[in-house]
Amino acid sequence: MPTLFQISEPGESHTKEACTTAAVGIDLGTTNSLIAIVLGDGKPHALAVDEGNTLLPSVVHYGEGGGPGSVVVGRGARRLAAEFPRDTIVSVKRFMGRSSADPETRRLSPYRFAEGESGVVRFVVDGGRVVNPVEVSAEVLRALRTRAEERLGLKVHQAVITVPAYFDDAQRQATKEAGRLAGLDVLRLLNEPTAAALAYGLDKRSRGTFAVYDLGGGTFDISILQLQDGVFEVKAVGGDSALGGDDFDRALAETLLDGQERSPRKVREAIDAAKQAKEDLTRVESTEALGKRITRAQLEAAIRPLIEKTGGPSRRALRDAGVPDGKGLDGVILVGGSTRVPAVRRYVRELFGMEPLADIDPDEVVALGAAVQADLLTSESPQHDVLLLDVTPLSLGLETMGGLAEKLILRNTTIPARATQEFTTFADGQTGMDIHVVQGERELVQDNRSLAKFTLSGIPPLPAGLARVAVTFQVDADGILSVTAREQLTGVSQTVTIKPSHGLTDEEIERMLLASIEHAEQDVQARLLIDNRVEAQRILKAAEKQLEANGDLLSPEERQQIETQMAALRQAAQGTDHNVIHAQIEKLDHVSADFAKRVMDRGIERVLKGHSVGEFDQGELSPHAKKAYEALRED
Amino acid sequence: MAARTCWSCGGIVAAADAICPACGKVQPPPKAGTQLDKFAVLGLAPSFEEPAGLDDRFRTLSRKLHPDRFARASPQERRHSLEQTTVLNDAYKTVKDPVRRAEHLLALRGIKGDPKMSPEFLEQTMEDREKLVEAKMSGQPLDALAAAVREKRDRTLAAVRDLVENAGDLAQAAELVARMRYYARYLDEVEGRSVEL
Repeated sequence: MPTLFQISEPGESHTKEACTTAAVGIDLGTTNSLIAIVLGDGKPHALAVDEGNTLLPSVVHYGEGGGPGSVVVGRGARRLAAEFPRDTIVSVKRFMGRSSADPETRRLSPYRFAEGESGVVRFVVDGGRVVNPVEVSAEVLRALRTRAEERLGLKVHQAVITVPAYFDDAQRQATKEAGRLAGLDVLRLLNEPTAAALAYGLDKRSRGTFAVYDLGGGTFDISILQLQDGVFEVKAVGGDSALGGDDFDRALAETLLDGQERSPRKVREAIDAAKQAKEDLTRVESTEALGKRITRAQLEAAIRPLIEKTGGPSRRALRDAGVPDGKGLDGVILVGGSTRVPAVRRYVRELFGMEPLADIDPDEVVALGAAVQADLLTSESPQHDVLLLDVTPLSLGLETMGGLAEKLILRNTTIPARATQEFTTFADGQTGMDIHVVQGERELVQDNRSLAKFTLSGIPPLPAGLARVAVTFQVDADGILSVTAREQLTGVSQTVTIKPSHGLTDEEIERMLLASIEHAEQDVQARLLIDNRVEAQRILKAAEKQLEANGDLLSPEERQQIETQMAALRQAAQGTDHNVIHAQIEKLDHVSADFAKRVMDRGIERVLKGHSVGEFDQGELSPHAKKAYEALRED
Repeated sequence: MAARTCWSCGGIVAAADAICPACGKVQPPPKAGTQLDKFAVLGLAPSFEEPAGLDDRFRTLSRKLHPDRFARASPQERRHSLEQTTVLNDAYKTVKDPVRRAEHLLALRGIKGDPKMSPEFLEQTMEDREKLVEAKMSGQPLDALAAAVREKRDRTLAAVRDLVENAGDLAQAAELVARMRYYARYLDEVEGRSVEL
């Protein structure tokens, strides 16, 4: 018999699970990756995960056999790179979310690419095995996760993963996918510069406006942030997703390879030697690489044009943030290993007119900030009570007539954000509308990045310009976009979450999502039935209303025909077969199309008579309405 | 706008309130299509000038509503948080910008849609634009052109203010606000030149 003493407060009976899982921050870098965690001392710490180092080279080697032990990640893989240049993938981040047709993928690199049907980059490695960039990145993440688990003695499930602020939607989706493949619950994708500012903001408790200049192995990012009242507000971001220290290495390697034959192996050796020389030259004035003497001045001459490419995006971001030319800026934070190069620091000093901050190791600062964010998101009492407000890096829009890009959400809009725009049909009886989603700043669609294409079907056939489709963009807190198109009259709608057009193949996604597919099929059937029933109700109601108001436009035979079809549709809507309902809807549309047109004509006539012509914006009129308008003017 | 009941505790919540005063749960935003006072979203009274303390209000509300604050909450609350933050961000963007703010003030008074622009104004705009294109092609400095348009914008803004605050012709104010949009676009274009992407 239970006694009073056995009754406990709800929740108290289960002692809280001891802290056996941990949320981490991961910097998935082009050249190196890191994992960090906020420990009991309230401070973020980067974990030593590769031969005693916190930096894990983002290098994956695919060895013989394809068994579990055949994949090597980190320094071990890097040592194998020169001998097995084609089986060892370096700087895979450059290929994330990119198509094999991208100029980026065809630059100096030793890999064998598989011919892909879908334009996906796929590497052919040892024994003909084929891997895609998401899978390669997942190997890096898995290595970080398992090695951190060993060090901590805890399970690592949840992670904040950083991405360059300038990453587009496809690249973000690919990164999230890699996290999932590695068995991580990705709490948040965090922009790298924002993470860096978060790491800095801790000690400084400061307020003011800061620039984060982030030059990593493969990407350049510039962010302008304002810190105040515990809120980090990103004011503007910019950058170049294909510019970084690797390019410095390539530029110097070109010098080293001058006039020599270029086997994959030679290329790999030259790049490695160039990288070493570049690092040496941060300390000394001259060094040797592949038997050639290289001075700092030579290096600087080779990379100067590359460094100067960071100037444009930086000035643009300063202007977007309302601090043109850096006037009113309180500090510049350096992030990324490439900011160790003296010529880069000199350029930053010139560009912003002040000495940059580099108190925290520029290689670790991003991972440390990500760990802080992971702690913020998962702890009941986070160590640092701050909030990050991030922005969209690029404008998001739609293709409109004539191949123009119409922007719905402008770059540097604080997220989450939403925007809606209405479009009308341009042909009589048009029942479908193609929705093409693009990302970028250019006027023409062809110059921007294409994110997705889909078709909204089931628009009721009306005269041109009368069916209205509202397209809504919603960007979530990870910066990932979903698009909904909805026809306003019937409520027919369709939603897509933008997935990488150049990421995983459909079979790969299918393989991963096999389990959930049966459910999805049922869901689709159920939704189609509901959609069609709702549509039937609306159309019947509209038809009744029109018969009452404008029935005089019909002959008795015509009226009879419409009423018969309405009865048939009512009958169908009682049933459970959405195809039957849909067919009856179409029939009713068909028999009443002429009636609808007459009703519209009458409506337009009335409107035009009731108003002065000047009140009409002709640009809004459909060709059909325009015809009516012209006819009236001639009277 | 009518008050609603909290989905969690059933208490009364004012339409503009994002959080239930009784239980502290985040509420769903008003239905799409309802007229929303974006000043009220920020807890501010409508005004032509930027309201004092706008940035503070935005930061305070962001700290309460942002999805990062609800990473451990129920899916329903997380969804409301995302929606409310979206509404908040949009309200802040509108109230922060002089042209959007003026447009919204007029919308709150029932003046909506694109007003018809006078042919004289459109002609003037075309001329300004041609000059801009010419200057760009020949690499002339754009400062003088920008200054002229900036001056027009400021003058227009003052005129709108006068109409709004002294119960003048709101339809006329709407046309002036539409003009300001043209000026803003023009100035964007001028400034876009100084830095290449």
